[in-house]
Parts: sequence; C-alpha cells; structure tokens
Amino acid sequence: MRLFEYQAKELFKAYGLPVPKSVLVSGLAGVRGAFATLSPPVAIKSQVLAGGRGKAGGIALVSDPAQAEKEAARIFELAIGGERPSSLLLEQAYPHDAEMYVSVSLDRGDRSFVVIAAQAGGVDVESMSGKVIRKLPLDGISQPFADEVASELKLDGERARQFSKILLSLERLAREKECELAEINPLAVGRDGMLIPLDAKVIIDDNALFRHPEFAKLHPEDEFEGEASRQGFAFVRLGGDIAVVGNGAGLVLSTLDLVGDAGGKPACFLDLGGGAQQERIEAALRLVNRLPEAKRILVNIYGGITRTTDVAAGLLAVISGGGSKPIFARVSGAEEAAAKEMLAGSPVRLYRTAPEAVEAVVMAG
Amino acid sequence: MNLPKMGAPVVVQNITGRYGRLHTRLMLDYGTNVAAGATPGKGGQSVEGVPVYDTVAEAVAKSGAVASVCFVPAEFTLAAGEEALDAGIKLLVIITEHVPVRDELKLVQLAQSRGATIIGPNCPGIIIPSQKVKLGIMPAPSFAPGGVALYSRSGTLTYEIAGQLTAAGFGQSVAVGIGGDPINGSTPMEWMDFVQGMPETKVVVAVGEIGGDAEERLARHIERSGYKKPIVSYIAGRHAPKEKKMGHAGAIIYGDYGTADSKIKALTAAGVMVAKTPMEVPSLVKKSLP
Repeated sequence: MRLFEYQAKELFKAYGLPVPKSVLVSGLAGVRGAFATLSPPVAIKSQVLAGGRGKAGGIALVSDPAQAEKEAARIFELAIGGERPSSLLLEQAYPHDAEMYVSVSLDRGDRSFVVIAAQAGGVDVESMSGKVIRKLPLDGISQPFADEVASELKLDGERARQFSKILLSLERLAREKECELAEINPLAVGRDGMLIPLDAKVIIDDNALFRHPEFAKLHPEDEFEGEASRQGFAFVRLGGDIAVVGNGAGLVLSTLDLVGDAGGKPACFLDLGGGAQQERIEAALRLVNRLPEAKRILVNIYGGITRTTDVAAGLLAVISGGGSKPIFARVSGAEEAAAKEMLAGSPVRLYRTAPEAVEAVVMAG
Repeated sequence: MNLPKMGAPVVVQNITGRYGRLHTRLMLDYGTNVAAGATPGKGGQSVEGVPVYDTVAEAVAKSGAVASVCFVPAEFTLAAGEEALDAGIKLLVIITEHVPVRDELKLVQLAQSRGATIIGPNCPGIIIPSQKVKLGIMPAPSFAPGGVALYSRSGTLTYEIAGQLTAAGFGQSVAVGIGGDPINGSTPMEWMDFVQGMPETKVVVAVGEIGGDAEERLARHIERSGYKKPIVSYIAGRHAPKEKKMGHAGAIIYGDYGTADSKIKALTAAGVMVAKTPMEVPSLVKKSLP
C-alpha cells in the first residue's frame, strides 16, 4: 500500500526525520488560511499516488494568497495518471543548493533489503551516478554502519553526522513499519547546512498489514476495489470495456495480453483465486456486472482445483437472475465435458480456446 | 540446491485445515508418500489415514519425514517454517499466499544456514510425473511423464501450459511453481541449474511474468554459463499497467523496472525462444528439439 506524501511525512515526523512545515487542505476554502500560517514561497503539491507529479504540473511554487488560490484550483482539477487529488499539501519551500537521494528498498534479485544513497538525487535511481548500495541486515543497522555509508558518499563533518541520523531513522521506520520502499528524493542540502527531506515515498508491504492496523483505513478506496478486496479477489480496475475474470493471477494476466493483442481494452483484472466455488464465481460476476464501464464479460477458467462444473453453475445462477451483461467464456480442465453440457443452450457464449473467446468478445464491441 | 530423494516421507503442516485435508488426499491418490501431519493441538487425530502430531519435530521423529508441504495461514507461516527447518526438514514447500516479505527473507536465510531448500511461498509446489510424486496442489491430470522441465511464477499458468504440453505429447520431467511473491525461496536460476543436471530433461520451459528482474538475471546467467539445454519461455503481462499489483504480490512494474518487454528482450538476446501466448509454447518446444 502506497502512502500519500502527507501520510509518509507524518510517519517521518514520528520517526524524528526533519520535514518542512506544511498544512494539508482538502478544499479550496482552506487554501488562504493555510497559506497565511506559512512563510512564502510556498509549494502547493497534489496529493496523488501516481508518479511524475512535478512533470505533470501537480506542483506549483507560489508567493501570495491570490496566486495560491489560483494554483490550488488548477491542481485540484488536474488528473495525474487518471487520478485527481482529494487534498493538497501546502508546504514551506526550503531554499537549498543541492539534492541528495536515500532510500531503503527490497532488492528482489539479491533477496535482501538495501540502502541506496547518492550525492546527486532528484533524478531516477537507475541513472544516478556515484550511488552507494549496501545490503541491510534484517535486524537493523548500527551507528557505525550509517557512518560508513556517509563516508562512502564522501560526506564529512556536520553533513555526515546529519546523514547518518537520517539513515538510521529511515531504516528503523522501514523495518518497523515493514515498508517495501521508504524513499527520500530529494533530500535537500539547505543553504543553512541542514539536510531536509522534501519528498517522501513510502510503500507498506500489503501482506504485513495485519501487524499494522494503523494503516488499514488510510486510503479512500475505489468502491469496486474495496468490495473486491473484502471478497478476497485480486482486482485491478483498468478503464476499458471488457471485464476479464479468471482463476489464477498468471492466467488472468495472460488473458489481458490476448485481449490487448486483439485490440480490446480490459475494464478490469479479476482473479478468483484457486479452488473457487460456485458462490465466489457468482460474487465475482455480480461485481463486474455492476462495474459501469464494463460492457461485456470475458471468463477464462482453467480448472485444476477449481471445478469447471462449479464455474458453470455460478454462470447459470447469475444469468438466471436476469440483466447480466453478455458473457463470453472459455472453460477447460476438471469436469470440462459436464460443464459444457450444463452451459449448452444458455446465453453464455462458450468457446473452445482462450484466443477464440477473446476474439469474439473484442469483435462484439 | 539439494533436494531429498523423491519418494521420501513427507509431512503436511496444518493437515487438519480445509486445504491441508483436501490436498493430502490428492497427494496420496497421486502416489506421494505422505507419512505424517502436524497441527498444534490436533496430535492423535488422523487425516485420510495419516497420523497427526502436535509438532513437526514429533512428526519427523515418528515418520522420518524430510520434506514438508505447508498449508499454514500467512500470519503463522514464519513460525511454521522455522519449526520445520529446526526439525530437520530439508525441502519445505510453502503453498500459503500473502506471507509478509520480511518473514520470507528470514526463512530464506534460515534455510540457507541449514542447507535446506524452500519452494514458494505462494506457489503450487513441485511434481515429478515419472515418479508419481507431487508435493503441492497441482491437478494431476494436466501432467504426464516426459522430457520438459517446466517452472513458473504462476500456478494456473503452470497447469495450463503443462496441460497443453501434455495434450501435444510433451510430458514433463519436473514441474515447479516457484511462487508469485517478490521473494522466492528458490530462484529461477537455481532451478535452471538443477534441471540442467537432470538427464531426462531435454528442454526447459521457463514461465515468467512482470515484476522484478529475475528473467533479466536469468538471461545473463544463460549467456555466461553457456547453458546447454534449449529453453522456451513465456512472459505474462505485456499489457499490464504500471504501479499495480496484478494478483501476485510480485507482479508489479515500477517505472521501467519489471516490464514484460525488458524480460522478453533480455531472454531473446540470450537465445531463448519466447512464446507470445501460452498456446504457442508446445510448438516452440517441438522446434527446440533436435
């Protein structure tokens, strides 16, 4: 689960990391009041989860209340990656000469968490020159470890001391809150000599949320994503008109590829999970039937543990309820012959192979 | 990577749960030597004729089990894995989905220090059709004995592709689901090296998906090590959006990191034949054989 910048910065504060003074506003009405409590210039920052905020125009530097209101109005209306902010962060700009980078992240290939740090941040991690990468022990790091990273970065004196302190706090935060990523980019080197995180990106390990109930209610969820997650489905809304439903993440992912290759646009990815029984199949079909942008439903099932007769029964139950969107299905595997017999003569359009079902559902658009 | 002899006794952890029970029966039906079960507080019961013990240590002492198939819920998987490795289990197959990353890392480190192998978590397990052994949950009818070594990050794609290979007359020497999480107990590279040493393996089918850089690393490994067997691959997720977890915790693209295109490019450059769809895999396997 990715946190909004303001949530990540609250977490930073709780771990003793210095952040600029800021006020969160959730509507235009609050902008002037918030601006008045800060000393200009002030940065107005769109609180969206999508990356590339700055480039997309989601951040503005303002110096008077009228300008603040004008920019806030613009940014509230600005969708970034399809996402419009429900709040803006007004933050005191911090005059600085240089921007560093530091993060704690999972290195999947090395099966370890790592710290990555560089003197020159502000750009993407891949192209950063002179970066230092160190594996992190699972049980935390010591002052000498942090000092070594600072000296490898060729920092000295007061700056090295401040960097070590920031790294120690960031590592503790990432470990205790079970972050997949805790990133400061940029870490500003101020004209006053201080190191101050200007942006904060934190992603919590979804699978560890049961140990961190404090994060459970942080997000305004998409209505459908919320319901799917309560039902235990893996679900991603994709914006097109073909709802894609199947059993198994890899299988559904490969079905999205078939749809995309055939020129179709998926409305969603819905993975029923393994061993789904009739009620779950019904629940999934009801969910995608209510998804407004979905016009047609593609069901791709390879029955292993999931019995295809359960799938057929679920399909029939939903159809007999009336008002279902057209269903195009490919059903293979365990008890396939019986399932096909059950569906014969029903409005479910049944195809022998996944590519045939995909072609039909795309052509029907 | 060292695997215990297939056919050696197996313990099922949380054998008394719904899935543990179901798959114990299916594993026994297939021919797996399920010799014991372990569930705390359920010692003395039996499931499908298999005796249940309170602890893995007891199950190991009584049955001689060297491998475990773990159906313990995610919140308790770390403790269950530690218990199994402490009891001397050398092959730990973790079926459970949603295990926290830091728990997985702890288990990987512990297994390494004990010389044990982990398959998973979030995986269907391993099947060796010629020996009638499966440690996991894959549907037996999709698989048949033969010369294709198949491994995959996805369960149902494993079944789908195995089913198509079987239908086309290409059985499998071994099929492994390595798991859909960001951290795999055993990695694609380890499996590639393992199956290279299996004389019955004629061709390797490597099924990947978006997320991470396992396939890119694998491509470098193939080139550097001068891999000797033909490889066919399929990568799911060419049309997946960025920054979204696509069902598997590990199936996520960040920026340009983890895209299907990057993986396909790297594998193709390393001489691997990459299928565009799962249906294309059998014909590429046929082409790869002398």
